[in-house]
Amino acid sequence: MGWLLEICDITKSFSGVPVLNGVSLSLQAGEIHALVGENGAGKSTLMKVVAGLHQPDAGELRLDGNPTRFRSPHEALLAGVAMIHQELLPFLDLTVAENIFMGIEPVSGPGWIDRPALHRKTVELLDRLGLKIPPDRRMRELRVAEMQTVEILKALAHNARLIIMDEPTSALTDREAGALFAILNDLRQRGASIIYISHKLEEVFRLADRVTILRDGCHVATHPIGGITTEALISLMVGRPLANRPRSAPGRAAPPILSVRNLALGRRFNNVSFDLAPGEVLGIAGLMGAGRSSLLSALYGLDPADSGQISIGGRALKISSPRNALDAGIGLVTEDRKVSGFIPLFGPRQNMTLAALRRWCRFGWIDQAAESAVADEQIRLFGIRASGRDQPVLRLSGGNQQKVVLARSMLAGPGVLLLDEPTRGIDIAAKEEVHRIVSDLARNGTAILLVSSELPELLSLSHRLLVMCEGRITGTLDPRTTTQEEILTLAMPG
Amino acid sequence: MLKSMIRFRSAFAELLFPALCLALVCGCDRPGTPEQPAKPGTKPIVIGVSLMNLASEFIGMINQSIEARAKELGVQLIVTDAQRSPEKQVQQVEGFIARKVDAIILNPCEVEASSPAVTKALAAGIPIINVNSETRTAPTAFVGSRDEESARIAMDYIATRLNGHGNVLMMQGFLGQAAQIKRDQGAREVLKSRPGLKLLADQTAEWDRAKAISLMENWIQAHGTNIQAVFAQNDEMGMGALLALEQAKLKEKVIVVSVDAISDALQAVKAGRLDATVFQDARGQGSTAVDTALSILRKQPFSPQVFIPFQLVTRTNISNYTK
Amino acid sequence: MSPKPATPKSRTVLRLLERFGLVIVLLIIGTALTLLQPQFLTSANLLNVARQISINGILAVGVTYVLLTGGVDLSLGSIVALTGVVAATFAHPGEWPVLVPIALGILSGACCGALNGLVITRGRIAPFIVTLGMMTLARGLALLLSNGRPVSNLGTGFLAVGGDFLGFPVQILILLAIAGASRLFLSNMRLGRHIFAVGGNEEASRAAGLNVAGIKTFAYTMSGGLAGLAGVMLAARITTGQPNAGVAYELDAIAAAVIGGTSLSGGVGGIGGTLLGALLMGVINNGLDLLNVSSYYQQIIKGIIIIGAVWLDRRQRN
Repeated sequence: MGWLLEICDITKSFSGVPVLNGVSLSLQAGEIHALVGENGAGKSTLMKVVAGLHQPDAGELRLDGNPTRFRSPHEALLAGVAMIHQELLPFLDLTVAENIFMGIEPVSGPGWIDRPALHRKTVELLDRLGLKIPPDRRMRELRVAEMQTVEILKALAHNARLIIMDEPTSALTDREAGALFAILNDLRQRGASIIYISHKLEEVFRLADRVTILRDGCHVATHPIGGITTEALISLMVGRPLANRPRSAPGRAAPPILSVRNLALGRRFNNVSFDLAPGEVLGIAGLMGAGRSSLLSALYGLDPADSGQISIGGRALKISSPRNALDAGIGLVTEDRKVSGFIPLFGPRQNMTLAALRRWCRFGWIDQAAESAVADEQIRLFGIRASGRDQPVLRLSGGNQQKVVLARSMLAGPGVLLLDEPTRGIDIAAKEEVHRIVSDLARNGTAILLVSSELPELLSLSHRLLVMCEGRITGTLDPRTTTQEEILTLAMPG
Repeated sequence: MLKSMIRFRSAFAELLFPALCLALVCGCDRPGTPEQPAKPGTKPIVIGVSLMNLASEFIGMINQSIEARAKELGVQLIVTDAQRSPEKQVQQVEGFIARKVDAIILNPCEVEASSPAVTKALAAGIPIINVNSETRTAPTAFVGSRDEESARIAMDYIATRLNGHGNVLMMQGFLGQAAQIKRDQGAREVLKSRPGLKLLADQTAEWDRAKAISLMENWIQAHGTNIQAVFAQNDEMGMGALLALEQAKLKEKVIVVSVDAISDALQAVKAGRLDATVFQDARGQGSTAVDTALSILRKQPFSPQVFIPFQLVTRTNISNYTK
Repeated sequence: MSPKPATPKSRTVLRLLERFGLVIVLLIIGTALTLLQPQFLTSANLLNVARQISINGILAVGVTYVLLTGGVDLSLGSIVALTGVVAATFAHPGEWPVLVPIALGILSGACCGALNGLVITRGRIAPFIVTLGMMTLARGLALLLSNGRPVSNLGTGFLAVGGDFLGFPVQILILLAIAGASRLFLSNMRLGRHIFAVGGNEEASRAAGLNVAGIKTFAYTMSGGLAGLAGVMLAARITTGQPNAGVAYELDAIAAAVIGGTSLSGGVGGIGGTLLGALLMGVINNGLDLLNVSSYYQQIIKGIIIIGAVWLDRRQRN
């Protein structure tokens, strides 16, 4: 049978830096094709070329054997190619139905939206996938997983034959991810093709028919999923075998640097108490909405707590702004890099020194030489790949962006570092590096509070593990002896 | 005199915020009522006044003369400021009609847009007198001056000084406003009848002194010593032209004449810097408007169109215009 | 690396290219004007242009601070009028040392700006609305203080601000000093860096411990203070404090900054571009007057050139 889509020899550069180097890939109708590779390997760029967001410098796309060129995502959508981005951008104040049919609303007469038809068509779509989302609910009220489903429905409403999904499960719980996979399987049976970008190899093996590995902008290999092992896949991605991670040593018995007593904030969390010692990594496990991120925000003064006590080194402090937290030696790496992590047009240099600029200033004047020296040192230390210390961070890969944010928090010289999903959306090699950095920091005496949705990460990095559920701490576990089942039992409500 | 002005102003500064609050509370209505004991048995005459823009010095002078004359005659006034908004002006006149004033003095913002104010007053049977500017709908009476005349007087003066031969520049007001159109008309009539006068260039400086300085600077570059005279359609622009010429050390060779006789211009004429300005008799307009209103109310004969003449002010007669 | 850029852009070459777009436009227009009217390219005329752009230039530098934080300031023109009146009131001959009116003018402008900033940050009201309110408020104050009349009869010391110094217009010297200092400030000082940060990503700036409200208030105070300086300069140039002066000046200032590459959404831009923008607008004004283009056409041509310059400039960058 013929190919649905052929990607032929696509080359693409951004401001002189090659990102894609003659990549070719063919896609059958009715297959789920996983696309893996480190961040910066060119997965997202390749898919943006396919979806009409970028124009290739050379090479061509063939749809059903016909050379095609999409000058905009809209053209691609009309041809049946839809892309669902990692960060969803729905119209938050419009309804589910309005979002699904945005641009192709059923109309009657001189352009009036035919609301009954809109509702009916939405219900039909929902029924087709056996979903129960009210069509007239506003997007703002949906959970992330539901929003993602709406995006898929939107693609179906446009009769999309090819759906590209970029890291769809990064913000989903396991249960939600399972529901998503069921939908994707269903779509495959109906003959739709799916290109699935993910860092989670377990998902790839569970879902995909074939897998393509990209590295440094080049096509490395394409395999049927049955013909490759996890280890082989990883070594193709990174180009070297993955070393076994040593399990970290338990924390020393030192007096706590951070003590939290009965901390509470509205309905987000309450009665939270724990101690954190220098050099200790304290992991916090829990489902989305368990109050983990809110707790970190409160400790950092972004969203101060209503009641309870925070002490640093035995002294009770009132933390009502990030400035207070920084002055008290508390640093935070936020969950959402793009929103609250970095200044997009600043380079690594300006981003890294932002929180502690005073250190390189005399009478308010920045000592540019000293600042640049520190920046270069941090770039080397954290292994940040950028064309220079002033390349806008916006143009770096997710992993490198995260390392810039980490470097900034560390330059402020905190004794306590709060990490909120520090490896979210970054590739395996970068993840490894972040893990190494976290372990090194702890070894050098930094106290670390780590929130992560990836249990293996929590288990390998933490010395102690707290589990939160519905705003309360439901257990303290020893990561050396606990099991995933035990953690999940404590994390599940009810 | 100056010192006392300053004290007056700083006192204002101290009272700034209370004054502002007061202004907010009172809105635009400023009862300018003189505490005149009403004659027993007779109700005092009430006249509503709607002014185009009290922020303008000239309109301020008209207002002062209206208030002074009203006080002399024991007439009660309700003074409102339309702040250049014809819509506001129509609302103000509607307010007067509702309050059943005896007569209305209207200083129109706009020829067309302020017309409904006149129509409504006439329909309510209240006599309405337009002062200074016209409306499309004819009022009971009009008191003002002919803007064309002011430009004619200024241009004639230039022609005389140049013996009918020379190059002239004209600074226009804000394009499309009645005063600009008419002053332009008047100036061009003279230019037509005096073929020896050549209009080198004309350009708008939007009544603004800063813009006039820039325009004059540019003209000096473009035309240099070819310039023999500048006619500016108002004194602000005339002062601007004057400053630019003085800075370029060309004032000795160029005649500058403008219109309005604001105090700055009068000072400049007195000092021999500005050659002439044309005096529009704001006080005459204001007091005549009140007189005309009373004549109408007393059923005495009145003239439906009173033109207060312009007067040329030069160094020879300046003493009549400055204190 | 060459000296640090005023913009947080990466490479110097790239930055030069960006600047180049506007320089090319200026060169084309300058050449065309010289061919059509040789008088354009004389030192006397170029000094003229310099004199004429200085007030808009100062305002544009001021509003650049605000635009960089992602805000906007619509009150500049009214602040010019208010501060001109304030300065003129204290500038009558023989009453106060010449520094008093100058300082009071700048100070009153800075107060208006600070008030803008405080209301915007404490009251969490959109800058557009707050500065629109200040536009009316400051105009009202100017009229109140002056009784609606121009304040004239100013001392020679004060008027010297509008004159020449060693053959150079004092105003352009002030503009160059202010622009130079602002450029250094924005690229080399901590607070300058923070202004870019807040405009680039307010949320992330807050998370990095920056005092976002204070930084914004500073930018508005700067904008107001420089508008005060512009008011003083205008009063000296037109030899009166005019309560009606400066109408719509803020729009010219914002246009100059935006032509110069400062983004209306904040975080991008710089003083060099703003100066070029002001220069372009001044050259167009001057050139059209020299060519004796009719007033009606002048406005049309100016509009086209402003949009065209920005369009060319943005194309150059992509």
